[in-house]
Amino acid sequence: MADALVRHVVTFGRVLREVGLEVGPGRVADALRGLAAVDLTRQPDVYWTLRQTLVARHDELALFDRAFAAWFLREPIHPDGRGAVPEPPQLQRVVKAADDSAARGEEDDEQDGDPLEVGASAHEVLREKDFAEMTPEEFARARSLIAAIARTRPRRASRRRCADPRGDVLDLRRLVRRSLRTGGDPLERPYRARKDVPRKLVVLCDVSGSMDAYTRALLLFLHAVVGTGRGVEAFAFGTRLSRLTPELGTRDPEAALERAAGAVTDWGSGTRIGASLKEFNDVYGRRALSRGAVVVVVSDGWERQDPELVGREMARLARAAYAVVWVNPLKGNPEYQPLAGGMRAALPFVDRFLPGHNLRSLEELATVLAGIERRHAA
Amino acid sequence: MRFRTIDQLEDALRDADYLPDRGLATALFLSLALEKPLLLEGEAGVGKTEAAKALARSLGARLIRLQCYEGLDVQHAVYEWNYPRQLLHIRAAQEGSVSEDELFGPEFLIRRPLLEAIDTDEAVVLLIDEVDRADEEFEAFLLEVLSDYQITIPELGTIRARRRPPVVLTSNRTRELHDALKRRALFHWIGHPAVEREIEIVKLRVPGIPDRLAVEAAAFVRGLRTLDLAKPPGVAETIDWAHALAALGRREIDAEVVEQTLGSVLKYREDIEAVRDETLAGLVDQARAAGTR
Repeated sequence: MADALVRHVVTFGRVLREVGLEVGPGRVADALRGLAAVDLTRQPDVYWTLRQTLVARHDELALFDRAFAAWFLREPIHPDGRGAVPEPPQLQRVVKAADDSAARGEEDDEQDGDPLEVGASAHEVLREKDFAEMTPEEFARARSLIAAIARTRPRRASRRRCADPRGDVLDLRRLVRRSLRTGGDPLERPYRARKDVPRKLVVLCDVSGSMDAYTRALLLFLHAVVGTGRGVEAFAFGTRLSRLTPELGTRDPEAALERAAGAVTDWGSGTRIGASLKEFNDVYGRRALSRGAVVVVVSDGWERQDPELVGREMARLARAAYAVVWVNPLKGNPEYQPLAGGMRAALPFVDRFLPGHNLRSLEELATVLAGIERRHAA
Repeated sequence: MRFRTIDQLEDALRDADYLPDRGLATALFLSLALEKPLLLEGEAGVGKTEAAKALARSLGARLIRLQCYEGLDVQHAVYEWNYPRQLLHIRAAQEGSVSEDELFGPEFLIRRPLLEAIDTDEAVVLLIDEVDRADEEFEAFLLEVLSDYQITIPELGTIRARRRPPVVLTSNRTRELHDALKRRALFHWIGHPAVEREIEIVKLRVPGIPDRLAVEAAAFVRGLRTLDLAKPPGVAETIDWAHALAALGRREIDAEVVEQTLGSVLKYREDIEAVRDETLAGLVDQARAAGTR
């Protein structure tokens, strides 16, 4: 193949990497092999060949198309939204506060040792304290506890089995082998059992103004939940829905929070719970993301627009999900009654209704997630 | 390779009663030329599975299909030992005359789709359908198979493919597949077809359908897709519906027959309710206008 073409494609690969696609050398090699097999004078064939070899995900297609147009068709590049969206002011504050407390937390560590080893009574006070009332120091100590709580995950029985004398299914391969010694009589009966594996978990977190005080704690909770492995999907919603799973998928919570902030464009604005749930059901529910999953909605249920829509969409969600848990920090107040329109409309479709306003109630949430029974089955 | 250009493959697919757009034809062509699996993604009903079947027909190859589901394991995807036969064999033989090697030999092996596709001399196309439904553990196993085109059975050793079968994977994107698996495969996204192509597809798949009915059915379904539905109809639904209309002896559509047959296009009660009355009348008018043009 002509050197010029090779150079061209290699450079194009670099262009794609710059706009955020993962284009490794293997993909570039595939693209070159592909181009060698098609007619280079036919532009659509060249386009499809490059697209099919260099792109691996549906959400990268738009980026690829823009880059292709700019590179091969010499169209001007339109400024792209990625990274250009100014960070919403409120989250800057949240992240900064978390930074500060983290920095201070480190100093504390030198004097007090691990925050987890702080005296039991201090622990108790911290466990009961409303997230909204915590000082930065307290919050720094709460962080590691939040992470520990989040590690508990709902489990389901996997189809994979392993040898287990108390298992429920005969291990036939071994049975046959052992029967050899006894002339075909299966005297010994080895069994196999199912392993438990984590059940899919989907978390939808309200980040609108009325939830501001709890956002930080819940985002840390979300980050830790995502850190427990695959099979976890996290979303944030206010006026619209954003998928946070990729943003929260890093090891560093601060960086993850910052990136999540970049992704959620309506931080601290009004809430459209019904519309957000609908968007989730339409886009992700249709792809069966919620099927068989434990779905956790974290919100105060203040729907300003259309409570009826909340009810309808909760019904759809509940049909697909294994179980639905609603976490409402307002429930931590003994006076609270779920009268807000959205909350009242949602409750009939909720399996468990929990507060989540302090560490202790997050523990409760984790316990419920670990042992959750489907209401409809009970 | 059997096809030297994309055009040749396109013609062969057409002869196999499948009308691919240029993008899909290119994807299938590259998959054959580069001997790489092809991952097809897209909404339900856009013809992902059908593409693999058509590829097999146009290659004159046997289609081996592995339908994935949650909990799919090696015993159902690759191989299993035939335990009842093994036990009977031990009993029938003289005591002590059966060796373990004999017992775990090829004649006691039940071959499931993946092994069948790897260990064969005939031409096959391997379709791994709805791979996103399988567990991630299985995905990892699949990755191994598609890397080396070989399968290891502890008792028999490693079985290598004599020639790499074309492999098509489909996914409805209920979750993202593992990057490593995606790196192994070419990727093509199938969208809903353009309306002219959909009319062509309907005519091809519902032989003898009146022209006007084909146009109106395609136009009506296209109108449905612009609405906010829980599950917008795919090409498969258009074909089903056109079949139903043709079977009823219709030459065109009207509000009444649409209402009677809407269940073959829309699969959710909410969707059917959302399309009643004015919406339906409007869509029917639009479709009929397209039919008389």
